[in-house]
Amino acid sequence: MPNQIISFRLNGEVVEIAVSPEEMLLDVLREKMHLTGTKRGCGKGECGACTVIFNGKAMNACLIPAMRAKGADIQTIEGVEGPGGLHPLQQSFIDKGAVQCGFCTPGMIMSAKALLDKNKSPSKEQIREAVGGNICRCTGYVKIEEAVEDAARQLRASAVKGGDL
Amino acid sequence: MSQFEYVGKSIGRRDGVDKTTGRGLFTTDIFLPGMLFAKVLRSPHPHARIVSIDTTEAEKLPGVKAIMTHKNGPKNLFNAAVPMFLTIPQLERVLDQYLFDEIVRHVGDEVAAVAATSEAVAEKALGLIKVEYEILPAVFDALEAMKPEAPELHAGKGCTPEGKNIPAEIVKIPYNDVEKGLAESDVIVEQTFELPVQKQVQMETQAAVAQVDGNGDVTVWSTTQTPHPSRAILGQIFGIAASKIRVLAPPYVGGGFGVRIGLSGKAEPIAMGLALLAKRPVKLVYTRKEDFIASDTRHAAYVTVKLGAKKDGTFQALDMKAVFNTGAFCTFGAELPGVCGAMTLAIYRIPHQRYFGHSVYTNRTSAGAMRGFGNPQGNLAMEQVVDMMAEKLGMDPLELRRKNIMKAGDPWCLPYPCSTTELSECMRQGAESIGWERRGKLNEPGAVKLRGLGMAVGTHVSNAWPFCVDYDNAYVTIQPDGSAHVASGVPDIGTGTSTSLVQIAAETLGMSMDSISLTYGDTLGTPFDIGSHASRTCYAAGTAIKAAAADARKQLLEYAAGYFNIAPERLEIKAGLISPVAGSLDECSGSGLCQLEEVKEGKGNSVTVAELAYHAHVRNKQFIGVGRIVPENAPPWHACFAEVEVDTRTGQVRIVKLAAAHDVGRAINPMIVEGQIEGGAAQGIGYALSEEITYNDKGRQQQYSMHNYMLPTAEDMPEIHSIIVESHDPTGPFGAKGAGECSLVCPASAIANAVANATGYRFKQIPMTPERVFKALNS
Repeated sequence: MPNQIISFRLNGEVVEIAVSPEEMLLDVLREKMHLTGTKRGCGKGECGACTVIFNGKAMNACLIPAMRAKGADIQTIEGVEGPGGLHPLQQSFIDKGAVQCGFCTPGMIMSAKALLDKNKSPSKEQIREAVGGNICRCTGYVKIEEAVEDAARQLRASAVKGGDL
Repeated sequence: MSQFEYVGKSIGRRDGVDKTTGRGLFTTDIFLPGMLFAKVLRSPHPHARIVSIDTTEAEKLPGVKAIMTHKNGPKNLFNAAVPMFLTIPQLERVLDQYLFDEIVRHVGDEVAAVAATSEAVAEKALGLIKVEYEILPAVFDALEAMKPEAPELHAGKGCTPEGKNIPAEIVKIPYNDVEKGLAESDVIVEQTFELPVQKQVQMETQAAVAQVDGNGDVTVWSTTQTPHPSRAILGQIFGIAASKIRVLAPPYVGGGFGVRIGLSGKAEPIAMGLALLAKRPVKLVYTRKEDFIASDTRHAAYVTVKLGAKKDGTFQALDMKAVFNTGAFCTFGAELPGVCGAMTLAIYRIPHQRYFGHSVYTNRTSAGAMRGFGNPQGNLAMEQVVDMMAEKLGMDPLELRRKNIMKAGDPWCLPYPCSTTELSECMRQGAESIGWERRGKLNEPGAVKLRGLGMAVGTHVSNAWPFCVDYDNAYVTIQPDGSAHVASGVPDIGTGTSTSLVQIAAETLGMSMDSISLTYGDTLGTPFDIGSHASRTCYAAGTAIKAAAADARKQLLEYAAGYFNIAPERLEIKAGLISPVAGSLDECSGSGLCQLEEVKEGKGNSVTVAELAYHAHVRNKQFIGVGRIVPENAPPWHACFAEVEVDTRTGQVRIVKLAAAHDVGRAINPMIVEGQIEGGAAQGIGYALSEEITYNDKGRQQQYSMHNYMLPTAEDMPEIHSIIVESHDPTGPFGAKGAGECSLVCPASAIANAVANATGYRFKQIPMTPERVFKALNS
């Protein structure tokens, strides 16, 4: 199968790019589009460092054939910060000390965001399940959970105020 | 209330925005124009001689630009870790590796490397290289490898009266008369434990990008924990001056945990060697499997502890022996047994002690540094034997420890004093958090799920001296705009030192953190520093930065004193404003800010650092503070408590709660210190229950991916209560001690003791996997 030009929505903008059948979405993001915020920790879907939000679901970009991105709506870590500043998840990760080496952080935030986009009052178990496929070797996950809880609180508060975060 | 502006405060990390937005750059993110991609051909055999290697077909493949094998690679022996450059004069360096050798010594050992226009082409080229191997006999167990009939890994190297394959000096720590102490003991407990191979599994795999310019000057972006020593190692491998090589983190490193104290596997020299051949930039990123099988692991070990005590529980004698499996190459095999012995002997006041420990070569992936550096292995044996002793004596393990722990000023085996310890308070707070009084009353008769409580205590270092060369330098330059620039050679491998070191500088200078920039992790533009390891970055590099900042501050005040017309000692800097100590500030006309010339005329009594620095600049003067220090050393302490629940039907061990109380001296940034404690606890949980690399009879690693190497996930984590008990150590910056590693010294020991308390069964081998636990409880 030859290369194909596909288009998809990436961080809110429609993009067009030529992809080959053997390429994965992670290769396209990192090597062709130079969006290196999405990390490669294993390349086999085992660590979660390459998590992106694909049609509303957190998925490992290293397991998605690039051709499957055709027509999809994809968000990467580069698209999380809004014009008004950091997303509450990003700010909470900083404020609560959930960032150490930072290599798992983008994927961790994308998994948490996929959860909070749908559920702004998650239980501890739901948070753990949402980031259960994201390996972090630095933090012991304690401050990551705290950060997600904190961001959820902020999102609820801004929803009450009618904000659009 | 802290008496400080910045020190002791949980200030958000300076790399936070970069790392939460994806803007932060790591080595694996670097793309340079014309860059080639490297792949490495690795040995499928644990021990073999390369009879022939033919790269002709691979060279013909379009896109292949360079190939390196033992035939055209550099021929200088080296050690891939910092002992290559930091071995103390009393010890002999162990140099046992070539970049490519004609002998391969473990599955995954380097055979050849290819640089090509894409990873896919490089990978394809590997398949076209023809290698003929002569299989050699192999050995995988440390005790087997010492036997007379064992194959020799490095020819005659390491043939000693104690056994074969012992690469470095045997560490012997004598302390008084252990035989006499044992003879005087009423009760003696002796036990041997078998500890597994653990892997660091830092999130960013080993990686390097090397670029050679037209003059032969080399730049290497690298995941190393030690840029300055790594450049020295590269210089020696290639026989070129270290000053022609720049090594830097770009600026972020995706974790370390000891796996790259020195080279990152062999990523730097392979990328550099290929870049020299191809005259183009070369990037090499290890796959996760390569990272598992071809970069240093924690040492597997056999540790025997023999402990003697009086009937009242007073420890009399400790005799300890450790044999470490260092795998195919020595890296840290000389230093690590010493840390194991010294740190284990340092926990308790025991009048008679002896330690005997060494490494052994085998045909496994080489073992090197991992967080704790031999100490968790020793602690697992020691702290379990202490619990066994408590049981024999009929004493509470907490009381037995309380009776015997080291006190500040007590004599011990180390060449620096036991300056401070709040271990007793750590034990008190940890016991309270876990509910220690419930111990022994947790289970109803006939329960299938058994609960237990266990504890362990330990200590560690705050830098690498006296085990290896250890000194630090730093510059603090006051810029003409009144900002300060700090230069330190340590990288930030994720532990937050690029924040906490700036806190130290800001506090010392009396300037805001926003007015301070930091250059770190780059051999160009920073003075020599041994790097980020041994729990030393905040303690030792922090001491150098504090000294440099104090020097710059002194120069500022001396310059100002002439205008204030008072002695410099009577001036201070607060929030970037220079004024007489504890005086009320006079306002100057206009803006309210005073000019130095006005102060000289008696108008106003304060100036900003910016005014002073510019005033000096236009008079041809700049203030540059220099810090050149040899750090002392000091013991951090840890008391860890675990509650576990063991399902006797499945063998599953669930940790209910972990309480980890630490004396880290003063916590420069408590939030960062908590992160260290929690992260260490998680790695300790993995070490105790699930993490292990085993080998089959063909010498192949059975675990080489995150899928089958069982790392703790968020869903596996118990409640972790991190407790900081502050002391003020006289040797560290603002009273700080090391915090990075001690957190991983005790958790596995505490969990093992809790499992024994729950089940009545003592596991002599970890991890306590469901399979092992089930077998033990049902046989």
